[in-house]
Amino acid sequence: MDSDEALYARVKHGDIRAFDELYARYATRLFGFLRPQLPGRPDAEDVFHEAMMATLESDEVAFDRGSFRTWLYRIARNLVLNRLRSRGRGEHALLKLGAADDEPAPPADDRVAHGQLLRALDGAVARLPSPLSDVYHLRSSGLSYEEMATVLGIPLGTLKSRMNQMVNVLREELKPWTTAR
Amino acid sequence: MDDCSLIQTDLLGYHFATVGDDERAAVEAHLLGCTACLRTYLALKARIDRDERDGQREQPSEAARLRLRGAVEVRFRPTPARRLSRWLRRPVPLYQGLAAAAVVAVAAAFAPALARALHPEPVAHAAERVDTARPETKSLTIY
Repeated sequence: MDSDEALYARVKHGDIRAFDELYARYATRLFGFLRPQLPGRPDAEDVFHEAMMATLESDEVAFDRGSFRTWLYRIARNLVLNRLRSRGRGEHALLKLGAADDEPAPPADDRVAHGQLLRALDGAVARLPSPLSDVYHLRSSGLSYEEMATVLGIPLGTLKSRMNQMVNVLREELKPWTTAR
Repeated sequence: MDDCSLIQTDLLGYHFATVGDDERAAVEAHLLGCTACLRTYLALKARIDRDERDGQREQPSEAARLRLRGAVEVRFRPTPARRLSRWLRRPVPLYQGLAAAAVVAVAAAFAPALARALHPEPVAHAAERVDTARPETKSLTIY
């Protein structure tokens, strides 16, 4: 199986099948990264398009493994931030959005029902502050700690600390659904 | 650490690999013996890894995929100009670069001699000397 970087090189030489393969690899992951951070599906599709094009057009992708993915997510993240800024929707708006989705208190007899637990998780993730939300979404997209640190432009130690913080916040939020068994 | 509630609060830490080795081993041991916790963990993992949401994998619409594919096709379609540009910008190995530089240096050093050999200068003939100091005497016809 060709690496992402080999496919990237082939796309730049006009090989559309290489693009199809790259698309298949990232359609779900990258879109899943973008979708919860943007207000609407069309926004997520636009940013997906822009991020893929910008990454393919860029000459910054080196030929070591992982560089395509790192570059793609870095560009995608910047595009998300730009779009939110340009619409005047920053972190506060996202937090507000998350707060609006507050889950009702779980019923006492079925607190660990998976559906509710997952909805609670979605709500908790939506309420995460921006730095923690970034690490959640990048990690969910399958990036390694090193790749995440590169995308976010922070030292590895800071990243690990944010990961711990993020897990603690989510754990606290999900406690009502997980402790009473 | 057999208590399901304790294990379940650690599932997130386990998934994101923020727990220590002991906690990790305890969670794994518990998951192997507790179907309920295992199901909960798999449900959380599927949601976090975005394997599925509401029973389906989310990705851009078919129209968005075709739009992107078309844009990529137009942008990277090979044309003679792009082929030439790529050829000029292709990475050249060091030894090839050095060899090319040596050839250019040798050519530059020998170029004048070679040019002289190929196009020898014509031998200059002694030009007839014309004394311009005196006006040319024209033959006079004396009647």
